[in-house]
Amino acid sequence: MSDSNLQGADVLKEASSKKRRAGLLERNRDPWRRVKVSIGVMVAILFIFPIIWMLFVSIKPNGFSTTNPIEWFTPPFTLANYIDILMNSLILRWLFNSLIVALITTVLTLIITSLAAFAISQMKFRYKNFIFVFFLLGLMIPGEATIIPLYEIVKSFNMIDSYAGLILPMIASPLGVIILKSFFDGVPKEVIESAIMDGCSYFKLFYKIVLPLAKPAMAAIAIFTFIGSWNNFLWPYLSILSENLYTLPVGLPVFNSTYSQAYVQPMTANAIASIPVIIAFLIFEKQIVKGISFTGIKG
Amino acid sequence: MNKKLWAHDFKAIPFLLPFFVAYVIFTILPIFKGLEMSLYDWTLVRKLDFVGFANYKDMFVDPHFWRTLWNTTLFVILTTPTMVLLALGLALLANMNTKLQTFFRGSFFLPSILSVAVISFLAIFMLQPYSGLINTILHTIGIEAEPFWMADKTLAWVSIVVVTLWWTVGFNMVLFLAGLQDIPESLYEASEIDGATRWEQFRYITLPQLMPIGRVVLLLQILGSYKVFAQILLITGGGPGGATRPLIQYIYEVGFTQNNLGYAATMSYALFFILLILSIIQLRNQRSGES
Repeated sequence: MSDSNLQGADVLKEASSKKRRAGLLERNRDPWRRVKVSIGVMVAILFIFPIIWMLFVSIKPNGFSTTNPIEWFTPPFTLANYIDILMNSLILRWLFNSLIVALITTVLTLIITSLAAFAISQMKFRYKNFIFVFFLLGLMIPGEATIIPLYEIVKSFNMIDSYAGLILPMIASPLGVIILKSFFDGVPKEVIESAIMDGCSYFKLFYKIVLPLAKPAMAAIAIFTFIGSWNNFLWPYLSILSENLYTLPVGLPVFNSTYSQAYVQPMTANAIASIPVIIAFLIFEKQIVKGISFTGIKG
Repeated sequence: MNKKLWAHDFKAIPFLLPFFVAYVIFTILPIFKGLEMSLYDWTLVRKLDFVGFANYKDMFVDPHFWRTLWNTTLFVILTTPTMVLLALGLALLANMNTKLQTFFRGSFFLPSILSVAVISFLAIFMLQPYSGLINTILHTIGIEAEPFWMADKTLAWVSIVVVTLWWTVGFNMVLFLAGLQDIPESLYEASEIDGATRWEQFRYITLPQLMPIGRVVLLLQILGSYKVFAQILLITGGGPGGATRPLIQYIYEVGFTQNNLGYAATMSYALFFILLILSIIQLRNQRSGES
């Protein structure tokens, strides 16, 4: 046992030193390396420049405008706009709505997709293949093209202009079922069989054994669903009528147009809407990138 | 035997039911509801007269329908190749073995997580004539022209495409990045021994190995671009003179401002079939890529 462990460590060590050698090789061999890195730096700065500009404009005194680009990035600075907007607008309410809707959508999606995926992967019942194919069909149905009848259906449930109307239509993700099903299929047969031999109920098997093993897939789906809900525009734009229930993407344009030509106030609102997600992104960058490549390819 | 199966069915029901109900009501039902709506005069308040295929006949002779469908297609044509090439280029930069790797990946991807409202208004404030950041930078470096980015048809399209690239390319970059990391190191080592140049390695190893993921990115991009709506609505409002108005915006206007949900549902079917065909191609392509 300890022998094979040692061997494993050796293999790992060798692999990492090989990788380092390859890295050094690449460094020495590519005459264009410096040029490429410089291009990378320039493009990266170009990509984040508008965001940095937004943050600088948001702390300028109200009414500030200039024809000299340098002045956007030099003092005077003030936090007065932040205080003003947080106190005198609905933006915190919209931030809260976006957050609550994205969170509940994510949790409900995880619950119902993992339950269904578990049944299809591990349980025996009639018409199983038929039901799986029926769920697969959902991948081909574009939500944007069925949004008008969806509006009628949600209206008939009296859920237009409500949290339920924002959340419930978004939770049945066929992609989630498919990803989780293929993940559950990979759980070793012996584990499942011995649990069933021990008299474990299906629900216990699901909750205690299969679900903890599926954490990476669940995390990927969670990230995907959360970002999707956070950025969803079309459906909230159609289904929400009262300002109190706006999500950020729907609320911000209203805000921006009321301030029309002025720069600073709307920019502060945009910054308030963005700073939480930028911070979340900086913390979870690796998981987000991993999650997307995971769902993108398998999906 | 039969009894046992019943018992199994019974156990599976609580697991399947929540998803099944939500899926049937909000994904499957709208397809049939849409068919019903397209055969009626239907307002925001209620269903009116049965009109048969009149809505479909109207659609085929409606110049706004064809114009907005063309605008959407133009958007697909303009964004797809640029998006795929840019995503590939950025993935190659972000895959370089350098200390700046995290910085590259983070910067390229960061715009993707910002709300469409934020990126649209950043674009508007940067592109405004006289006081926008782009034009003031142009003036500072001695270019006196005053481009009206939203008022000129071509410039409006350029603006929308550039903003869309900036906003969404990070997502495609990540997919290419995953593809790059799946290429076995041994292929490069072997070609190294054979004395292949960097360009030959790229041409004969990297590109062919990226083909499967490249096809996925291409089709996902076409599919995604056909659904364009929010950034155009917020940046140009479909202008100037309807030159950038996409199909979804027209469907929205017919349904919700002209109060004609029946006709809006009819045009949704046109979009539905375009997207359905693309998804079928996409799923087939993916399956053949996997096996």
